[in-house]
Amino acid sequence: MESGLSSLLSVSIDFETSHLFFPHIIHWLLGGLFALILVFNVVPFLVAVRRGEKTLPILGESMDKFRFFGTLALIAAYFYLMSVVGNLFPYTGYGFLFVSMPFLLLMSLMYMHTRTTRKVITAAINALVAPTLAWFILAKLFQITLP
Amino acid sequence: MLDILSLLDISFFLLAALGALVGIIFGAIPGMTATMAVAVCLPLTYALGLNHGLALLLGLYVGGISGGMVPAVLLNIPGTPSSITTTFDGYPMAQKGEGERALKVCVVASLVGGLLSAAVLFLFAPLLAEFSIKFSYVEKFLIILLALTVIASMSRNMLVGIFSGVLGIWLSLIGTYSISDGGNGHTRLMFDFLEPYLFDGFSLLPVLIGIFGIATILLEAEEGIKGGLGGKHVEFGKGSGFSFGLFKGRLTNLVRSSFIGTFVGMLPGVGGSAASVLAYTQEKNLARDSSEMGKGAPQGLIASESANNALTGGALIPLLSLGIPGDSTTAVLIGAFTLQGIQVGPLFIPENADTWYVMMTALVFANVVMFFLMFYAIKHIAKVVLVPKYILYPIIVMMCVVGAYAINYGIMFDVWTLLIFGVLGYLIQKVGLEVAPLIIGFILGGQAEVYFVKSLESFGTYSIFFTKSPIAVVLWLLIAASVAFSVIISLKGRAKRQAEAF
Repeated sequence: MESGLSSLLSVSIDFETSHLFFPHIIHWLLGGLFALILVFNVVPFLVAVRRGEKTLPILGESMDKFRFFGTLALIAAYFYLMSVVGNLFPYTGYGFLFVSMPFLLLMSLMYMHTRTTRKVITAAINALVAPTLAWFILAKLFQITLP
Repeated sequence: MLDILSLLDISFFLLAALGALVGIIFGAIPGMTATMAVAVCLPLTYALGLNHGLALLLGLYVGGISGGMVPAVLLNIPGTPSSITTTFDGYPMAQKGEGERALKVCVVASLVGGLLSAAVLFLFAPLLAEFSIKFSYVEKFLIILLALTVIASMSRNMLVGIFSGVLGIWLSLIGTYSISDGGNGHTRLMFDFLEPYLFDGFSLLPVLIGIFGIATILLEAEEGIKGGLGGKHVEFGKGSGFSFGLFKGRLTNLVRSSFIGTFVGMLPGVGGSAASVLAYTQEKNLARDSSEMGKGAPQGLIASESANNALTGGALIPLLSLGIPGDSTTAVLIGAFTLQGIQVGPLFIPENADTWYVMMTALVFANVVMFFLMFYAIKHIAKVVLVPKYILYPIIVMMCVVGAYAINYGIMFDVWTLLIFGVLGYLIQKVGLEVAPLIIGFILGGQAEVYFVKSLESFGTYSIFFTKSPIAVVLWLLIAASVAFSVIISLKGRAKRQAEAF
């Protein structure tokens, strides 16, 4: 019995596949936990959704679609254009500087609920000053690499 | 000792003070946390040396935790999760026209909490480090397992907490099994075409900045970026009314809450709200005159704020002695250390004695600065809760980009990592998974693998995890205790709900 148990627990790891040994265990754990969550949490939750007591996350909730997807699109465009412009002027940080300005302005305008001249001017000044300041302090004074 | 004094120049203190100020502002803005403050300001430390960088970051940490009291008292909105219990008594006081008095009570309590926990940190971290130096791979793996179990058991739902932690580990395994850790250098958990980007896996800091910065903004964007608090009226009340006499007879409360905060801070991954809630309920249960609590009693503020500031020292204990972050802010601090080429763990304090004393100085100084800034300038600082978010959020995204891009000296994929983990962080929070265990799992996953596989390679049997040493047995007992604790709590909660239902 004793030897049976120790042989059950003994293990040898082949070096060639040792990179998969731990991930393999993690996969089984994840799978097992997911099954448990499915039984104990997800199914009761879905039943409650069916009865109309709860709503599905994301899909069933009201959301500000314009601002949410606008944020995602703006950020994606910001990242993409930054590297495009940055490649035109390598090692200067101009990609960051010149793409940040319109990004800040657009995002500010998108997040504003009511647009007054005063607010828009504040946002525009912020969009010019903040990236310039960040660029100057980080790229020029501190020599930090920027796109 | 003279060496250390030579490291402390004017700019060191200025940076700590600046950190505290910026931290207070971040903390005071609802929705922004100390973690975010540290993450967003990390790029500033790239150019600073280790000591100056730490001064700034610790200032941010202390300031960020403290700042949460401002909107909690004035607007009934906790600025950071840990100031939730401050609203219970702070807001009623503000409504009675005692806003400034309430804030000053909070400030004094915060200072005491911060300093007491710093003292505990100073005495306790070196002892724990010395003890843990002797740990072999087996014990180190069990420590990580314990850390993850504790976090999971503190989650709203233990099963979900564990799942989140394991998911974090899974994410950390993407990339190569590094040769420098004794691995074979093969990649796993990815498609071949991703190899140029993910050879070393996801970088820690972009992941953290994405989850704490971008995801927060996405969550707010979904809500439509509520126009800020510009329309609200901020009520301070009359200038007078505060005296240290308010603390008379509250010493027990102050000390108890500080120790509760420190202790909860030590538990890995447990957020600040647990500390202040625990301290608040303890005061409520133990004090003779607790009937006024919740209606505007200073004793509630004392409990809440001293506990949440005591988190700072507590959370640094496991970080500096074991290399395991005590909360999400210290998780970001790990990134800052890595950036400076320093590995935190049992050897950190003995090998970097200067840095250790410098850190303690910065921590104590940051607490003192926080006190003076908030005690005397609270009226002006409180106005930042009115800064509109349409100005603030774009700047935060910009700072996130700088932080992510510069971390590995200019890799665009790190910036995309921000977006990937921003969206992931958003989804995680929407479907009800827990962020804290996931992050801690991500940070510790790589080490967990190495310790686990090395232990098995050396001993060739799973039983080694139980039989290696008495310490291993103790660690298993602690793991079992934390699981049992969580099960009991959840059963109690269920019984209570059922009792209420009938």
